[in-house]
Amino acid sequence: MKYILTALLFVNTAFASDSFLDSVNRMKWNDLDVVWIEDDKFPKFTASLYFQDGALNDSVSGVTQATFDQLTAGTSKETQREISEFFDFYGANLRHSVTHEYSVFTVQALTKDIEPVIGKVCEIFKDAQYPQNELKSHLSRAKSGLKNLVTSHAALADRVYRRVSLEGTAYANPVEGTLKSFDQITPALLKSRLEGLNKTRKVLYLAGPSDVKDIRKVIEKNCHWTNETKVTPQMIQKPATQSTLYLVEVPNANQAQIRIGRYLVADEFKGKYDQFQFMASFLGGGFTSKLVQELRVKRGLTYSAGAYVSMQRDYGRAGVMTFSKNETTAEAISIIRNVFADVSAGRYENKEFVHQKNHQIGGYAFSFEQTNALLGQIMLYDHQNRDLADLVNFPKIIENLSKSELSSATMEVFPWDRQTIVVVGDKSLVKSLSRIRPVRVLNYQDYL
Amino acid sequence: MKFLISLLLLPLLLNGCSSAKKDKNLAESINLDVEEVKLDNGMTALLVNNPKLPIFSLYFFYKVGGKNEVPGITGASHFLEHMMFKGAKKFGKNTLDFIIEGSGGSTNAYTTNDQTVYYENLPSKELSMILDIEADRMENLSLDPDDFEKERAVVLEERKMRYENSPRGQLYQELMRNFFAGTPYGRSVIGEIPDLKSVTREQMHAYFKKFYAPNNVTLVLVGDIKTSHAKQMIREKFGKIPASPTVAQEHASLKDEAFQVTFKESKVIKKKGESPSPLFMMAYPTYKVGHPKGYALDVLSSILGSGKSSALINEYILVNRPVATSMYAAHQQLEKAGMFFIGGELLRGVKLDEFRQNLQKKLLSYCETEITPRNIQKIKNNYLVDLYGGLDTNAGLAQFLGDRQLLLGDWRHYKKELELYEKVNVDDVKSLCKETFSKPSVFVSVWNQHK
Repeated sequence: MKYILTALLFVNTAFASDSFLDSVNRMKWNDLDVVWIEDDKFPKFTASLYFQDGALNDSVSGVTQATFDQLTAGTSKETQREISEFFDFYGANLRHSVTHEYSVFTVQALTKDIEPVIGKVCEIFKDAQYPQNELKSHLSRAKSGLKNLVTSHAALADRVYRRVSLEGTAYANPVEGTLKSFDQITPALLKSRLEGLNKTRKVLYLAGPSDVKDIRKVIEKNCHWTNETKVTPQMIQKPATQSTLYLVEVPNANQAQIRIGRYLVADEFKGKYDQFQFMASFLGGGFTSKLVQELRVKRGLTYSAGAYVSMQRDYGRAGVMTFSKNETTAEAISIIRNVFADVSAGRYENKEFVHQKNHQIGGYAFSFEQTNALLGQIMLYDHQNRDLADLVNFPKIIENLSKSELSSATMEVFPWDRQTIVVVGDKSLVKSLSRIRPVRVLNYQDYL
Repeated sequence: MKFLISLLLLPLLLNGCSSAKKDKNLAESINLDVEEVKLDNGMTALLVNNPKLPIFSLYFFYKVGGKNEVPGITGASHFLEHMMFKGAKKFGKNTLDFIIEGSGGSTNAYTTNDQTVYYENLPSKELSMILDIEADRMENLSLDPDDFEKERAVVLEERKMRYENSPRGQLYQELMRNFFAGTPYGRSVIGEIPDLKSVTREQMHAYFKKFYAPNNVTLVLVGDIKTSHAKQMIREKFGKIPASPTVAQEHASLKDEAFQVTFKESKVIKKKGESPSPLFMMAYPTYKVGHPKGYALDVLSSILGSGKSSALINEYILVNRPVATSMYAAHQQLEKAGMFFIGGELLRGVKLDEFRQNLQKKLLSYCETEITPRNIQKIKNNYLVDLYGGLDTNAGLAQFLGDRQLLLGDWRHYKKELELYEKVNVDDVKSLCKETFSKPSVFVSVWNQHK
């Protein structure tokens, strides 16, 4: 019965928000900061290594991403196939994500296999060689993937939108790299980048039964991670007024992808995280959100619509994503504009506001259902230098939000004249879109 | 909570995973604590109490999907799935989403060839409310004419997004159309455009009445619930809904023979699409869901296409001169028939016909080189990790139980599955590998170079 009792104990303390903070164990293993959440539900573990270093430090666009992509491509002792065979045999799931500000490498496996699996992770971080042949093959596939982006209109829209909306800032470069930058990526560059990552500040986030802590000795003996390098934040200026609509022409599309939004500078969202998230959810966070009601339910113009505000430490992004058939693309954009204006001016019913509050407060318990998701949330809070007490107090924070705070958040984030608008679709859209703003037609190949 | 304890014992019982003792088999070690309720009108409900958090997941598995449609009303199951969110007699027009999301919950649905599934994740105190909503729409769906027309437009937009503007969507649809040509599985689940434009509210109502009934659904409820009280509520709210007198006959009329593939020779289909690189899928006929041979075929598909160490990835991608950017293999088992397929995205410049011939030869050669005890153990280890992942949430467990109840007729079938997986050996997989890849196949590609 030991396992089950521990599991229930954790769960109850996690949801009893006052003691949630006690269940987040912070430790120091020599130079390495460690955060551990006990989770005895299954005999498996998750280990996420956070690096306070991301694509902003790319000397060549895409180098950080490629450093992680090719981490298992070979060491001085083992080939790519041998390394893959090792992890696959244990059912170990390896993944990584690179953002501009930070990177995360995650491994999940059965607890009984934690020592060999983490031991191998240490080996590859210490001794990855980035063999030329494997790298060449990887870059060839990456190029092909980019060239084929023309068939994934949504992904193409996201990529062009980032480049256009963040133009002139250090955040405009795509994390994945470009067709041109791939030619400059070499094994030496990747080894040098990995050396930098090994020295940068990092935090190990762990979830699993208590014996996962036994990997301390493996890490201290084999990983040689240090925290020597500090990364300097790169601050940016608030975006300027936008007067153009960008149309990315793709062949034979009978539907257009729409992206509308802008980037945020840190001063705009510090202290307003929950207020902005509430606003994004009110606008486009579910079937009952304003945008889905106006675009889909009332008019049948789209299948889906969503709004988001994502905030890192030094910059953020806010936007709306949807699509519509060619004939109604301009109408859909006008409706989005009206929704921004109406919510900014407080032109919505009180019951809609109360409904959104109930939605967020009522759904709070779901944040704790999956420990991995919770671990990710704690990592983001840490990166943003936010107090975890905010997570505990979330229901109270939402309860105390006023209608004027919702309106002001919308007004601050979504003033129409500062929004970048990108449409990916057929060239015939130029005429109808010109009624919204002067249209600048972009060749998608310039953004690959 | 019995199942949690049992699952924790699981890794100790796997062959070759370590030096673990083997004193129980896999199937004996997992015991899901499920309460089953059968109502007089034929409705089945499965309940699992998990007091971890004050939340639950509720699933409704309706036994109706693309295979139940006839030419002229293709897409009806999926269109109806959309209309189920538009209101019924007690919970009127467009109120359902507001009630669910206003309680902190979420809801959605999906439609396949064999089933239509609705689900909600909600705080525990909302159980009575959501059971009321589900009973109301099962019995008294509105199909409001105005909403019907708006939703028709939404479905057409969804179709464009998933298929017309997506080469991968086109590829899958073309494969199903050709592989299952002449059978109900060959029809488009989202529907043909003329049918979507012409289907009437009256036709939809008749379709609804035929299939949306308590004797054609399985309810699965997992979470922080008091099972005795939940059972009582289910009886109260659903017990009075009349059974469909014709649905059993409808299902009985769909004989397995009508779903078997008819091609006797391999087919090669080239479809012009927008993809600058060739996308392909190649499929072989196998067995329907639950067939004992299916488990060895699942293992085969993982050996060939799961993970960086798999055969196809190492043959075509992780080599000095790659020919593909992605490769995968899967064994798709539907209620009436099965399909083993290999697919991928090739690099530009690859000669498609040469690649196809090479792949066909390689597949047969893998039957000798790749089916090893270590590879089979590797897949079993991965299966265990995936099993944990799948059962990690209330929704995951509900899905696990509902799929088995609906497609195999008994949620307890997982016991047999685990036994069969555990018994899969080199000889089984080799034999099925040769059997499968010696059959005629359908090869479909989508590429902008095709005429």
